[in-house]
Amino acid sequence: MSRHSTVVVVGGGVIGCAVAYYAARRGLDVTLVDMPKRGRATSASAGGLWPMGESVGLGCGVIFAKTQLAAGGGAVGHATGEPGRLPVSFLDFALQSRAMFGDLAEQLREDTGMDVELEHTSLLFLLYDSGDESYAQGLWNDYADQRSLLQWLTPAEVAEAEPAVTRRLYGALQFHGDDQINPYKLADALRAGARAHGATIIPHTEVTGIVRHGARVVGVQTADRTIECDVMVNAAGAWAAQIGQMAGVDIPVTPVRGQIVCTETLPETLNACLSTSDCYLAQKHHGEIIIGSTTEHAGFDSATTAAAAGSLAAGAVRAVPQLAQVRVKRVWSGLRPGSPDELPILGPVEDVPGYLNACGHFRTGILNAPLTGLALAELAAGEPASTPIEPFLLSRFQGSPSRTVLAHA
Amino acid sequence: MSRPAVWPLVVVGGGPAGVAAATEAARAGLRCLLLDEAPALGGQIYRQPPREFTVRDPRKLGRDYLRGRRLLGELSEAADRVEVRSGTSVLDIVDGPELVCASSGGGTSSVPAERVILATGAYDRPVPFPGWTLPGVLTAGGAQALVKTMRVQPGDRALVAGTGPLLMVVANQLHHAGVHVMAVLEAGRSAFTAGTARRAWRQWGLLGDGGRYRLGLRMAGIPVLYNHAVFEAHGDGELRSVTYGPVGAADWQPVRAQRHRVDVDLLVTGYGFVPSTELCVLAGCRTEYVDHLGGWVPVRDDTMQTTVAGIFAAGDGAGVAGSVAAVEEGRIAGITAAEQAGAISAAEAQRRRRVPLRRLRSLAGVRAALDEISRPRPGLCQLATDTTIMCRCEEVTCGEVREAVAEGARDLQAVKLLTRLGMGACQGRNCTPSTAALLAAETGHPAQQAGRINPRPPVRPVTLGTLAAGQEEAR
Repeated sequence: MSRHSTVVVVGGGVIGCAVAYYAARRGLDVTLVDMPKRGRATSASAGGLWPMGESVGLGCGVIFAKTQLAAGGGAVGHATGEPGRLPVSFLDFALQSRAMFGDLAEQLREDTGMDVELEHTSLLFLLYDSGDESYAQGLWNDYADQRSLLQWLTPAEVAEAEPAVTRRLYGALQFHGDDQINPYKLADALRAGARAHGATIIPHTEVTGIVRHGARVVGVQTADRTIECDVMVNAAGAWAAQIGQMAGVDIPVTPVRGQIVCTETLPETLNACLSTSDCYLAQKHHGEIIIGSTTEHAGFDSATTAAAAGSLAAGAVRAVPQLAQVRVKRVWSGLRPGSPDELPILGPVEDVPGYLNACGHFRTGILNAPLTGLALAELAAGEPASTPIEPFLLSRFQGSPSRTVLAHA
Repeated sequence: MSRPAVWPLVVVGGGPAGVAAATEAARAGLRCLLLDEAPALGGQIYRQPPREFTVRDPRKLGRDYLRGRRLLGELSEAADRVEVRSGTSVLDIVDGPELVCASSGGGTSSVPAERVILATGAYDRPVPFPGWTLPGVLTAGGAQALVKTMRVQPGDRALVAGTGPLLMVVANQLHHAGVHVMAVLEAGRSAFTAGTARRAWRQWGLLGDGGRYRLGLRMAGIPVLYNHAVFEAHGDGELRSVTYGPVGAADWQPVRAQRHRVDVDLLVTGYGFVPSTELCVLAGCRTEYVDHLGGWVPVRDDTMQTTVAGIFAAGDGAGVAGSVAAVEEGRIAGITAAEQAGAISAAEAQRRRRVPLRRLRSLAGVRAALDEISRPRPGLCQLATDTTIMCRCEEVTCGEVREAVAEGARDLQAVKLLTRLGMGACQGRNCTPSTAALLAAETGHPAQQAGRINPRPPVRPVTLGTLAAGQEEAR
């Protein structure tokens, strides 16, 4: 069985669904092939939309940095116990993507009737000690351009804004615009929206091969069919390297495990999302509090460990003491699609026409889904992307200057 | 008694299988640790009234109570080699094997073991029908817990419905607790036929039990309607009445044209049991789908060892077969664990296993006959309407599950991703058996193709404070 589709998206996580949605909205003929895998990051995600927080190393970054310090140094740049910051190009991309969510949520409601539970929470970095305080001071000094998004809170102001949070604090740094969403609903709504705009979704189907004509990608194979295409988009998350290999492209994406503890449904306990050096906490629309997350290189093993659950639980109780009495519903893990420099890998690959990357989103696939979807849809349509994607091209790892090639020009 | 750093044997579960396993292992000279979630040993079936209650006439509490007392008596004779930790639940089992435990006193601990016998029991199989989540609708196990442990009368006028021998037991217990039981509705046919008797001739004891319960109902004037089921429970905030009627003999399809309505304030449903296999799965044991054993069960050899060396599974948690079989399985597992540990010779182990193996074989006949009668049939799936809740934790309706199927979901994992079914506190224990049956009915594929939702730790309830306390200890 064979058919043709202008664009074939491989991977039905939030990135694949976003690409399919924006491409279908442009009127492109799109097919999305999806095989849900254990550990897929979209399903494991906490759903934080934290462009500032993620850029400056809060969320998982600060927790990882602390564990590295405890383990005696570890990765370069983490030896001080301070998390690494991501480049300005990433912050710009993430802020732009974050800004798309308001309209996107409305549009998805119109397209599908679904609510993605976008909530304006802000993110509070809780300052436990003088080390946290000086780190926050450094952010305040260095991110003068984003000062309008930052706000210092005294311990009394934290107590007023977040009565459930511990009083044993130096204060907090608040990031306005760092909000949250329901990640599963976002992916579901994007998938349904893509379908509403005419995309074909092939669910529960493994991609078994990529058809090439010379170097050019011309089709995608599954067990029972070949879908010919002009452009194939690799949105396979932690499995992107395997799909890349089928297309003859080396993608340096590896699974990075994150474990998460989820509480039972609670009455309103937190207003903001919280980030500490032990864990982050986000109370979801549903009432559960999600407590994340570890950063581990464990291959494709999506198991969970008692040690990680214990340490996240201890971190949560330290931040919000009343959680000690709250029941744990589940502990799970997800496999983040990690790239060597923690930046996404987007766009065309030199000498492989018909192929586009939409992978390597590491911790920020949910946050960066809208802009990735839009940019990839533009590239797939043969147009220039409306946001600079040069910093995110695969060629940055190949040591050669990047050259933007329109995929099927 | 000093504690070994690594226990030669840890038994999880203090019901019939677990107690029998610990008893046999200890008799053979093996030191073992028996972990049980409840405050007192006995499991669901041999559930003991709280210590504050004085039992004046043990016969009144039934033959199971007496069997339980006898088994616990055997254990106490070997007590010097068994440490019992009550109020302890096992949250996870990790490589080693090592059991992650939480005690009711607070705090978690890690228990390393050379070998483990999982005797985790089974839970009520829920069958959704309109109104099944109303207060006043109880499962057979839930109703028994109220009557047996707390001596509470859970209602005034009751209907007991479902399938299997437990219905008769529960109806008798409710009657003795002062409840007016209107009728027992058995979806299957009567177990008292010549065919059953022929296959079960060596198990007159068990059939005798059944006969006594049946006779008890007759004396109490409680009718038993075969091939009948509950169609709907009505009430506004609490149960007021129930619609019931006949079901087709072959597939239990409801015959709605012949429905009746009766006013009751208690409805007890029992459609059999589902094995608790969460720890088996977390331990990496291979499972298979065996319809008549309650669904997914660990693959075992005749010594009750799973596919993971040193990990045994016994009793209803490894396949629902009732307490009498559970005791024999537990004995076999305990003897084999002792043999593996070198406490007894292979020849001695074989000698000790002989009697329980023979009893198991003889039980198999009556079990097969009863299983065939009370195996849930696909017609039950037709009871739920689009607005009926399938997943109570996340309030996912039958209609949403059907929509997910229409969108291409073919297994539980896919339904979960689309609907949140199984994402609640029970991890899908309560909704997945009925959803798998619904998927089978909708897709025409066998229920095992629906797969399962993989259990995640903690498999038993635990607070963040307890987990955090474990972390403090580890530091």
